[in-house]
Amino acid sequence: MIVAERKPFDEILEMLAPQKRVLVLACGGCVTVCLTGGEKQADELASQLRLAARQKGMDLTIESDSITRQCDREFIENLKADPGQYDAVLSMACGVGVGFMSELYPETPFLPTLNTTFYGANTAPGAWAEYCRGCGDCVLAWTGGICPVARCSKSLINGTCGGTNDGKCEVDQEMDCAWLLIYKRLKELGRLDEYRKIRPPRDHRTDRGRGVRRLVHEEMVELEEEESQA
Amino acid sequence: MTLPVSRFQEALEAGEFVVTGEIGPPKGTNVEPVIHEAETYLKGNVVAVNVTDIQTAVMRTGSMVGCKLLLDRGIEPVFQMVTRDRNRLALQSDLLSAHILGIRNVLALTGDHVAMGDHPQAKPVYDVDSVGLLQAITGLEAGTDMGADMKGNPNELDGVPTFFKGCCVTPCTEVVEPQIIKLEKKVEAGAQFVQTQAVYDPATFETFMKNIDHVKIPVLVGIVVLKSAGMAKYMNRGVPGVQVPDAIIQRMADAPKEDRKKVSAEIAGELVREMKPMCQGAHLMTLGWDDVVPDILEHAEIKP
Amino acid sequence: MRDGDLTSRDVAALPSTCELMEREWSPCRHACPVHADVRGYIEAIAQGRWRDATDLIRDNLPFAVVCGRICHHPCEANCRRRDVDDPLAIRELKRFVVELQGAEGATVHKAASQDKARVAVVGAGPAGMSAALDLAKMGYRPTVFEKFPVAGGIPATTVPKYRLPREALQIDIDWICAHGVELATGLEIGKDKTIDDLRAEGFEAVVVATGLAKSRLLPMPGADHPRVHPALKFLTDVSFDHPVDLGQNVLVVGGGNVAVDAARSAVRLGTGRVRMMCLETLAEMPAYEWEQQEAQEEGIEFIHRRGPIEILVRQGQIVGVKARAVTRVFDENERFDPQYDDSDVIELACDTVIMAIGQAADMGFVEGSSLRQDDRGRLVYDAATQQASLPGVFACGEIVTPPGSAVEACASGQRAAVAVDLFLRGHQIRIDDSLPPEIDSIAEDTAEKVINVSREPVEAVPPQTRVKTFGPIDKTLAREAALRESRRCMNCGAGAEVLVDKCAACLTCLRVCPFDIPKVTDVARIDSSLCQACGMCIAECPAGAIIARGWDARGLPARTSAALASAASDGHAKIVAFICGHHASAADWRGESEVVAGVAEVYLPSVARLSVSDLLAAFEKGADRVLVLACHEGADRYPQATRRISRRVDQARQLLAEVGLDPDCLRMLELPDEDGEAVHPALVAAVETLPAG
Repeated sequence: MIVAERKPFDEILEMLAPQKRVLVLACGGCVTVCLTGGEKQADELASQLRLAARQKGMDLTIESDSITRQCDREFIENLKADPGQYDAVLSMACGVGVGFMSELYPETPFLPTLNTTFYGANTAPGAWAEYCRGCGDCVLAWTGGICPVARCSKSLINGTCGGTNDGKCEVDQEMDCAWLLIYKRLKELGRLDEYRKIRPPRDHRTDRGRGVRRLVHEEMVELEEEESQA
Repeated sequence: MTLPVSRFQEALEAGEFVVTGEIGPPKGTNVEPVIHEAETYLKGNVVAVNVTDIQTAVMRTGSMVGCKLLLDRGIEPVFQMVTRDRNRLALQSDLLSAHILGIRNVLALTGDHVAMGDHPQAKPVYDVDSVGLLQAITGLEAGTDMGADMKGNPNELDGVPTFFKGCCVTPCTEVVEPQIIKLEKKVEAGAQFVQTQAVYDPATFETFMKNIDHVKIPVLVGIVVLKSAGMAKYMNRGVPGVQVPDAIIQRMADAPKEDRKKVSAEIAGELVREMKPMCQGAHLMTLGWDDVVPDILEHAEIKP
Repeated sequence: MRDGDLTSRDVAALPSTCELMEREWSPCRHACPVHADVRGYIEAIAQGRWRDATDLIRDNLPFAVVCGRICHHPCEANCRRRDVDDPLAIRELKRFVVELQGAEGATVHKAASQDKARVAVVGAGPAGMSAALDLAKMGYRPTVFEKFPVAGGIPATTVPKYRLPREALQIDIDWICAHGVELATGLEIGKDKTIDDLRAEGFEAVVVATGLAKSRLLPMPGADHPRVHPALKFLTDVSFDHPVDLGQNVLVVGGGNVAVDAARSAVRLGTGRVRMMCLETLAEMPAYEWEQQEAQEEGIEFIHRRGPIEILVRQGQIVGVKARAVTRVFDENERFDPQYDDSDVIELACDTVIMAIGQAADMGFVEGSSLRQDDRGRLVYDAATQQASLPGVFACGEIVTPPGSAVEACASGQRAAVAVDLFLRGHQIRIDDSLPPEIDSIAEDTAEKVINVSREPVEAVPPQTRVKTFGPIDKTLAREAALRESRRCMNCGAGAEVLVDKCAACLTCLRVCPFDIPKVTDVARIDSSLCQACGMCIAECPAGAIIARGWDARGLPARTSAALASAASDGHAKIVAFICGHHASAADWRGESEVVAGVAEVYLPSVARLSVSDLLAAFEKGADRVLVLACHEGADRYPQATRRISRRVDQARQLLAEVGLDPDCLRMLELPDEDGEAVHPALVAAVETLPAG
């Protein structure tokens, strides 16, 4: 899932500065799961903003609401508040939600309160780590399920570099060398031949090389749309 | 067998014990002192001189211009290229440029992560890795680049470069097999020589050399000149794949400050002398102490 | 979605989350014949809300004082705490609070206007008075006719005073009568007046609740001797201080509670030797175990498995009882069917016999009416509608139900009131007796995680002292003991509910639950039968997807606000103190402790429920400083509560610092490990630690 972290409060306050009536909108999806952008965190931010407004003598009305996901059109029906009624909406969603809601409400500024950081897994209570980069060309089949694109700090594809140090990465002594993990895993699996193969440089066309990436399942395209195209 | 493209290649193929040196370009345009040092202490003592490529990700003058300046002074350069800062277009373009300037030796490296350097905010590129870079050079030598036309045929070059291609390996890391496999891949991708990461323990190096007996390219053992006991300790802590034995650290610690260069040259020279029978050359990384090179060679019992 | 899944929409449609508790009942409530909101009144006691507790009790149970003294307390028998350590002392808590409050300290819910039909109730026992009370609350005008000079029925006439002081009983009678229940005592229906007379006088319905007022007797030689006393008559005479002809060697025949009452009363009248003889073994005896035990402590001997065949009288004096051996009491279907061995007969010396072998109805009220009786002399009656054979005549209580306790009689009377109301409004009498399901028993591994707290002992009067008087045999719980005891309640059925539409299945509830209750399948599932209602998950759920039954988790800011408004600040900094009330005194909870200038005190059952938002909201509501006073780890009602709240306070402090407020304006301190009176001094000391200004 998508992992995000809260932006520094001052940055949020700064982007909000000219607005008077603001809705803090939680997202019930990934960012709720990673304890960053759920209803609870929205309430906390709303509280912080009201306190800051009082502190700084700002004329600011803050309310909060939440929505199942900010990346699907249909859920906006469940909103208790109408975003259009506010000067701005502080979205607690990942960048996807902020961008998508901005499209749905072109008249209302949707402002990000989070920095969307990575696709991660919950490695321990309260802890998440990056497992995928969304490169569009998955290599996990021959790397023992350990992604070198996401988990090697250099995204190398042919093996360890000279920066591997006691199983850790030169970038951070707390971070495992992904290639050493891959090596060990492949060795356990009896598949070191996969490590021995030369992997050609990656084809970055699947990874931002051609701009915005899209996915269309033709079988689910709306019937009316198909008719109008025909 | 094709003709050697450089004096460096020629010496290795002739079976000489080849010593190379290394310079690091400055941060700024004042390149003269480092070139002067090379001219004074390295020229004539070593077969070729590596020019580092934005070493440890600390921004500085480029490797290619350093190589060109050495060439101009009659010193054969080894053009170090890291994949950290340039994508495949820039790398191939620079290789063509280097060839045009007369540069023939290339050392393909991945390069320290930007997080290690003085521009940690920079975007790390790593479009290709060191294996990919070696493949790219081999491709250029075959007259094609990494791209293809609309039909999928490789793009042909108008004028084809030739290089003596090298790579690096870390012999003294705790788990050595993945390093060796990667070395095999580099050789398969076209590497013709190896310059190793710093070695301070001949016994470990000997084992390593036995383990890569099947790898049929010359190996130059890497020697980093120690400047102090503190530096040795720092490397043990912070530099991946480098282990300075306690005895050597002690020797540095016991040396009076004014004798450090001398002791350091002794240590380096003895290391080279001891490992000479195991490999085909030595790569001396003096980190600015170029003046110790003659001493090292003397202790190593190598005649320039 | 599964059956029973809740969504935020479902909850929004409810008047309050209290309704959710009606989906399942806690075992105490379920087992209670009048289904009193036990958990509700125990919680009120825990928070020092004596009047609320009393009102909650009296909402269902008019004879609150009587039951506080003599109830057989099925609530305790079913209390889930028994699977952890000991059941909650529910009866003792009830006794504590209802007697503390008296009749004046309980709210009277008088009907807005009492102008509906007049209803006659025959018999002022628990059944009749309960029926009359409910009718009065509905606006009817009930009159209760009682042959004895006092109201109360068995509790007034036969329950020994050492078990139920009459002034205590009077609290219940006074409170019931305050609702507009009229009493006509000393007037016996069937003798002074007939049921037909009542109808003629304009009573549109009659409720017969005369109970089982007579002791059954066994015909045998010597049974007509004046020193053979029917137990109920004996107990009534003792109750009214009438002289009783008692010798020095009493044999009570019978093994039920009435027999024990008679024996213990005989002891108190100064009889030298009192023995009880019954058909049953010790284990089979119908008397409650605690009654047996107390009787033995008072020197009463039990003779088991013997049935009397003759009372031996010589020279006009009883000299003994001839008794045969009993081979069995019950048949294979557990029906009463005693069998005897006539070859095994003994003689037991005694000079007085009290017969306590069972009770019978006094059918005198039928006289002069056309009410029908069956071939065994019992009142013809329809259990479904509680109607007797004449239209408008109803019956309730022991006259028509199996013999039971006061609380069961109350339930029967209440049901009769419903029937009367339906009848008088011209409706068909159909009464829905269905109940919500009862929550399951607690799982063993959950029970193991509940912190053990031993039951507060009730201080008994030593047997050698108590046998000398008819004074109470034990003492009411002291205030502090009552608080401690009430806080042992596990809040069964008041726990967490997941709103499935909001749950993101993030696993937070599962990770913070100290009892390992939540399971996450498609969404989080929290088994209400296991949940301990600590509120930990509610405070931590990032989706706001968990609510508690019967408790508005989002209502705390409003409470904080109200507390701030009422705290006098006099120019001091305004301080909100969230205080774990688990060890606080009743005065603390009620805001009656000495005021600390500028401090608004908000007491919580545990700080486990206090969220980061609640802490921030306190500042929003105008607090300059916020204190959290938590029990120290291990002293809280719930495991891990202190460590969790400590982390939440740290997080809130960070959020405050981001806003530019001094994080030291929010502090958490742990309370000393002392009960009650220690909380307030700790608060005073804690205020000192806050930054000035």
